[in-house]
Amino acid sequence: MSNKAYILVLISLVIILSAGCFGWDKNVTESTMLRGGKAFAAPASGNDNTKLKTLDDIADKRVGVYSGTVHDAFVAENYPQASILRYDSTADMILSLKSNKIDVAMLDYTSAKVVLKNKSNNDIDILTDDALSLPLGIGFNKNNPALREKFNNFLREIRADGTYDEMYNRWFEDDPEKAVMPEIDNTGAGQKVVLGVAVADLPYVAYMNGQYVGFDIEMIKRFAAHEGRPLEIITMEFSSLVAALASGKVDMIADGIAITEERSRQIDFSESYVDFKTAVIALKKNIAGYDDEQSDGAVAVPFLQNIADSFYNNLIHEKRYLLIVDGLKITAFISLIAAVLGTLLGALICLMRMSNNRVLVNIARFYISIMRGTPVLVLLMIIFYVVFASVNINPVISAIIAFGANFAAYVSEMFRTSIESVDRGQREAGIAGGFTKVQTFIYIVMPQALRHVLPVYKGEFISLIKMTSVVGYIAVQDLTKAGDIIRSRTFDAFFPLIMVAVLYFLVSWSLALALDYIGFKIDPKRKRRIRGHQI
Amino acid sequence: MIRTEHLSKSFGELKVLKDVTTRIKKGEIVSIIGPSGTGKSTLLRCLNLLEMPSSGRIYFNNVDLLAKTTNVPKIRQKMGMVFQSFNLYTHLSVLENLTIGPIKLLRKSKAEAELKALELLKLVGLAEKAASFPDELSGGQKQRVAIARCLAMEPGVMLFDEPTSALDPTMTSEVLAVIRRLAKEGMTMVIVTHEMEIARSISSRVFYMDEGIIYEEGTPQQIFENPQREKTREFINRVRRYYYQITSKDYDLYAMNAEIEAFCEKHLLSRKVCGNVLLLAEEILGLQRDFSDITLSLAYSEKDGRLEFVFESAGEPANPLEEGRQDDDLGIILIKSRCDSIQYKYENGKNILLLEVKG
Repeated sequence: MSNKAYILVLISLVIILSAGCFGWDKNVTESTMLRGGKAFAAPASGNDNTKLKTLDDIADKRVGVYSGTVHDAFVAENYPQASILRYDSTADMILSLKSNKIDVAMLDYTSAKVVLKNKSNNDIDILTDDALSLPLGIGFNKNNPALREKFNNFLREIRADGTYDEMYNRWFEDDPEKAVMPEIDNTGAGQKVVLGVAVADLPYVAYMNGQYVGFDIEMIKRFAAHEGRPLEIITMEFSSLVAALASGKVDMIADGIAITEERSRQIDFSESYVDFKTAVIALKKNIAGYDDEQSDGAVAVPFLQNIADSFYNNLIHEKRYLLIVDGLKITAFISLIAAVLGTLLGALICLMRMSNNRVLVNIARFYISIMRGTPVLVLLMIIFYVVFASVNINPVISAIIAFGANFAAYVSEMFRTSIESVDRGQREAGIAGGFTKVQTFIYIVMPQALRHVLPVYKGEFISLIKMTSVVGYIAVQDLTKAGDIIRSRTFDAFFPLIMVAVLYFLVSWSLALALDYIGFKIDPKRKRRIRGHQI
Repeated sequence: MIRTEHLSKSFGELKVLKDVTTRIKKGEIVSIIGPSGTGKSTLLRCLNLLEMPSSGRIYFNNVDLLAKTTNVPKIRQKMGMVFQSFNLYTHLSVLENLTIGPIKLLRKSKAEAELKALELLKLVGLAEKAASFPDELSGGQKQRVAIARCLAMEPGVMLFDEPTSALDPTMTSEVLAVIRRLAKEGMTMVIVTHEMEIARSISSRVFYMDEGIIYEEGTPQQIFENPQREKTREFINRVRRYYYQITSKDYDLYAMNAEIEAFCEKHLLSRKVCGNVLLLAEEILGLQRDFSDITLSLAYSEKDGRLEFVFESAGEPANPLEEGRQDDDLGIILIKSRCDSIQYKYENGKNILLLEVKG
């Protein structure tokens, strides 16, 4: 692509960015827009008669829940008429509530309080906190009762010596946003304990200033120190926690996990360490007793100030840029290594596919059709949770294997078609000229095939980079996941998402430029141009 | 230099070469001519094992090419091949096309290979195109580069697979000039060609191939001026044939006429000649009584423009054109007026009339 085209793309990005900033300029514009739309889209939810008063009013509403939580089951069982929308992060749920995609959201009471404290969420309030109460526990693998027993003993000890109360006050009674995580010395050198978390939000697990914080984190850090074992924390989707524990990827899981019968069938729980309360939240204007006007009270902030604020909130505050930088590294690392692995494997598959041995050909064809017919996300999860279920494998390596294997299938077909597109006569001329088959391939066929393959390869490589954005499913903190974590703290969809999009674009762009340069290098016409200059 | 023994090649059911045994000596220039699809190119491509023979033996300088221990690529270096479609390496410049073999295979230094390449390019008149790429050259130029590319490997023999078939007449003569020059310098060459002129003027021996065998071989004089066998003669005279079979009195006259017209049209015969042929066919059939087995055939020689009409019919010996046998002789008079000559003979239970149609 020419440079002009890139500039054009950049300009349009800037336009989208600024348009988005204006549109997102808080309630003045947005809420009017939403109200306008609502009249057509969902007349029931904006109407005074249907304002929410009690829990039972949600019976026919759209209810947002955390996917895989007890809320999910609770709503399904008690309000079969309600339509349930499942989310993987609090931020997504709150944004959906604010943009009227759901009418109410159910979440942990303490988390809800944290959400409401955020000044951008002053149009939301708690409808009721009397919905569902459940004991929370730490999850353990059924095959590891010893660890669970140790934890239970530890829990009893801290309840007895007052540490528990201190922690409870810090994270539940006082403002968890302001809570300072105490330094916990852990010089343990024993076998490490791996903890799986979903980074749902305060007060249980959150990510601030480049480290994990929250009640659950503090408790388990103390437990690890108490046991004299180093602690490793890995992040994954909430809905994957139980599976990860059951398959032995982690030793324990924590993140405000309610003890339910269903979960108890797969994993063991510790004694309950706290009871959790559910809050049902909704937009103030949908809750009986609020005036419509009240929610529109925010003052428009100047545009540049707004940008600066959100830049600060999303990047500088709590050193969030570290998340982005780390995520970017992971994304680039996975993409590059998977591409190298996939290219080598692809070349091998291509060799098998083009060989004269029918067994090899069929193996290659089978491999290619399986890989091309399976979504890479499913493949990724199969490799992590099934193939390497009993092996302690770094999820990044799993991701590299999954993407490499998938990429190989596409690359091998790409190689094959480009090799076949080289005129038969070229090969014959090489063979007749005294080259061996291999020499003919290296000196004559490959240089020509390479020119055919590069443009397609470039496209496939870029789509590989973008595909890696699903690695969050197996607890890899890549660029997308980093954006998600920031969103879970700032409840700001626009800035983190656009920033992540721009970063993906920049990564793809620079890598595409690198491939273009290679293409330019191997183009024989280039020599002609140089020659032209010399003459 | 090259010897084949009982060489056969089949593609599936189709037997393309049948038991070809021949010998090509150093310094000979052998042209292989013959109709399409009779195994000329296959024979050539078997000589350097571009096609694997189904059976038989090939020797090059007394080395058995099909022996397991033979280093075939090494031998191919000494057997240059020029293709109908040139097959220059498109990713390399003209100069690189000439130097890649010597550098990679003969381990020559780059400078040495380039010096030699430029010399060869001068020989084929393309020194100024050294830095060009194949797609910048005309067909004739490409083929000359292809020849130079072979020469760069200093081959003992050069195989030409229809080197001028893809070229127009001007380009053809460029390439032929180069081939003539090589001939003068004593290069051993085997040329599959449709170009009778080159076969005639430069070869020391001509193979006429038909039906998968070397049907007739000899010096150009023998083959071109005095071919011994029927098919060779027809090929040399460029005879085109047409047959029509009749087995009952209720034959389809219109279908036959249409086919005869199509044949005449295809070979650019005049309307008048075509009319003559149609009239002859109709009149002779009008005189015929026994329709159980009749073959009409036309043989047109593109070389001298002669058109022969042959009428064969089974039955008792009887010349339908014998005067007095018919009620009126009008038909016979009409037939005679349209022919330059008429011959009658009776062979193998068939009456054969051979008419030479007036042009």
